[in-house]
Amino acid sequence: MSVRIDLDGVAFTYPDGTEALAGVDLAIVPGERVAIVGQNGSGKSTLVRHVNGLLRPTRGRVLLDGADTAGRHVAELARTVGLVFQNPDRQLFAGTARAEVAFGPRNLGRRSADLATAVDRALAAVGLDGAASANPYDLGFSRRKLLALASILAMDTPVVILDEPTTGQDAGGVARVQSIVADLAAAGRTVVAISHDLRFVAETFERVVVMRAGRIVLDGSPADVFAAPNWEILASTYLEPPLVARLGHALGLRPTATEAALVDALRSGGEPAAAIRPTGFDPPVPSD
Amino acid sequence: MRGWTGPLVVLAIVVATAAVTKIGRAMRPFVLATIPLIASILLVNTFFYPGAEDVLLRVGPFAATGTGLTEALQASLRVVAFALSVAVFSLTTPTDDLLVDLERRGVGRRGVFVIGSAIRTIPRMAERAGEIVEAQRARGLDTEGSALRRIRGILPLAGPMILGAVTDVEERTVALEARAFSAPARRTVIRPIPDSPAQRAVRWAAGLGAATLVALGIAGLVRLP
Amino acid sequence: MSGPDAAPPLALSGVRYQYAGTSAWALDGIDLSVAAGHILGVVGPNDAGKSTLSLVASGLAPLAIGGRLEGSAALGGRETRELAAHEAAQRCGILFQNPSTQLSGTAHTVWEELAFGPRNVGLGLADIVERVEGSLAALRIESLASRDPARLSGGQAQLVALASVLALRPACLVLDEPTSQLDPEGTRLVGEAIRRLAGDLGSAVLVTEHKTALLARVADEAIVLQAGAVVARGPVREVLEDQALIELGVDPPPAVRLRRALRAGGVDARTEQRALDALAALDALATLDAPEAAG
Repeated sequence: MSVRIDLDGVAFTYPDGTEALAGVDLAIVPGERVAIVGQNGSGKSTLVRHVNGLLRPTRGRVLLDGADTAGRHVAELARTVGLVFQNPDRQLFAGTARAEVAFGPRNLGRRSADLATAVDRALAAVGLDGAASANPYDLGFSRRKLLALASILAMDTPVVILDEPTTGQDAGGVARVQSIVADLAAAGRTVVAISHDLRFVAETFERVVVMRAGRIVLDGSPADVFAAPNWEILASTYLEPPLVARLGHALGLRPTATEAALVDALRSGGEPAAAIRPTGFDPPVPSD
Repeated sequence: MRGWTGPLVVLAIVVATAAVTKIGRAMRPFVLATIPLIASILLVNTFFYPGAEDVLLRVGPFAATGTGLTEALQASLRVVAFALSVAVFSLTTPTDDLLVDLERRGVGRRGVFVIGSAIRTIPRMAERAGEIVEAQRARGLDTEGSALRRIRGILPLAGPMILGAVTDVEERTVALEARAFSAPARRTVIRPIPDSPAQRAVRWAAGLGAATLVALGIAGLVRLP
Repeated sequence: MSGPDAAPPLALSGVRYQYAGTSAWALDGIDLSVAAGHILGVVGPNDAGKSTLSLVASGLAPLAIGGRLEGSAALGGRETRELAAHEAAQRCGILFQNPSTQLSGTAHTVWEELAFGPRNVGLGLADIVERVEGSLAALRIESLASRDPARLSGGQAQLVALASVLALRPACLVLDEPTSQLDPEGTRLVGEAIRRLAGDLGSAVLVTEHKTALLARVADEAIVLQAGAVVARGPVREVLEDQALIELGVDPPPAVRLRRALRAGGVDARTEQRALDALAALDALATLDAPEAAG
């Protein structure tokens, strides 16, 4: 049960004149899992802030299920779009983990038993049910990040946006985030994530959007986006294709982006790939 | 009644300095900042000066007096003169030079560091505040609704700010120690500030002159404007 | 101070550490030593004590943050507890994850920022100039010298912070998750800088990281930390190939994972070998069977 997100020709310039988005067209269907990658400054964070109304486009429109977000308060859009920021310490203020997680759903009007259920479920989903009465600052940084994630999960929004969910996480933390994304997707909710970790992206998301200088330069499945014909474009955004993709290419296999897919491709004969379909629909941008 | 000479002399000096240093335009905010105060001074003194009889005009039950108006104008002139002298000082003295000089004269490196980094801290804190507001709005905190609703947001907004500031201080302190900040040696000056005998003479003259005037004023020998 | 009998730039022996006001041992029996020109990688799950180890190794614990230190933590032969904080800072520098809290915030240019440390210890102007220019050159950031430190990218800011620490010419450097907040380009810059530290400058380097692929590329040896103790140590390739790594909460480098996936994949032997060879060619990480390259 999710909503469709449409960005139509969205452009955004900051008050100081920096053009952060140069005209972005992006359509995300309900229940999709999309990762947005690119260097810092490519416009990823600016883009996702348009979805929940924190930023309003200088040009273009943002639509949720066909309805323009213009004129709607962020507090109202927060019912539909949950956004977890990269730094948990910019939001933690409550005395206990439970109180922290309750803040969001309470703002959306949930009370008593209904609220308690939402909170307990969210804490359990991130593995912090045992620490419900702990002070958030007694938890280490990676658990605070999971707490911030729980505080958005408890809001039960149809769309969940994660800004760099795995930075600072150890292997256990990353695995936890992956399983949460999988659970959200299984429940039909849309998940959008910004990430620098291309392996996490390739394993967890069905679609990758690559941004550079305020534009989308590649958009497709991880296997297609990281395939050899796009390496030049990726290089222009200082992104290195994951090792799996490079190995697959060296072995002449069809494009793959995960270990499992690569081994699969090898098992099915290891035949040379059919003509690899390039997916970048913009010609390579000349490097500045 | 304290007279016109004092503030007028100061204003003359200020205007002359501003003309020479070309800071006229930059002084506007300082002047604008005095307007609320001046407005209230004018209003209160003109209408409510105790014991004034020379009524100029009546507005309802209130009477504007000439004495009151004169007093109001003199007081306003003092306020403007004061504000503009502060403006001149602040606009003609680069903070860094001030800090370097203070340190050279014995203000400890910690004091200088606190002042110097406080200035840089403001944009950083503003940026952090912006991030906090965004994070809490994304959790449904209403910052666009009624005033009552916005008051509920004080703790979620102030909490992370304060906690963040405390953590920031802790991290910075440790980082400073890692840069040998607490070394006992005298910190090397890498940007000496040019001075000249003439400037030194003016400084001494101004200081001594002011002290003398005040002493004479207290002793009753000179009436200070 | 570089003969074969000279004390190593960093040596911990039987080290236990307790943060002030706590009763648990955050580090519980650490032995390690890093020689000049060598890089030791430290991996482990969060809360294993990696940051604590960094603070203890650099002397900041206990000198700047208090707490209780037992055992021997020696920088170039001198026990940290016998040093003043500023003396430790000149023997061992430290770089943290967050570039912005490490910059002094009082310098207008990167040049001034680098001069901060040397000025604090009262070096003469000529020495300061030499140190600053030396650090800029060592990290190849001469082009940043007149930039405003507050307006740099994350990766650049980390390099500036690193250069500032280098300006005190410590023999040893501790880097605590230096790339954790950086984008891939920033990570690459810092990775190269780390290699240069050991190679060109002969520094002894201790790096804690989650990015095991980065460590595989730059470190000579590695240790795995868990609950404040060392549970594995050895040449970096061996440690990162260890089967137990995942159980210990550490993600092996992609090359190691791929190798395992290939071997377990049920692919015929010839295809498997072809894939492993291609992988070896792609990645600097040698297989366990290949002869160890020197260094």
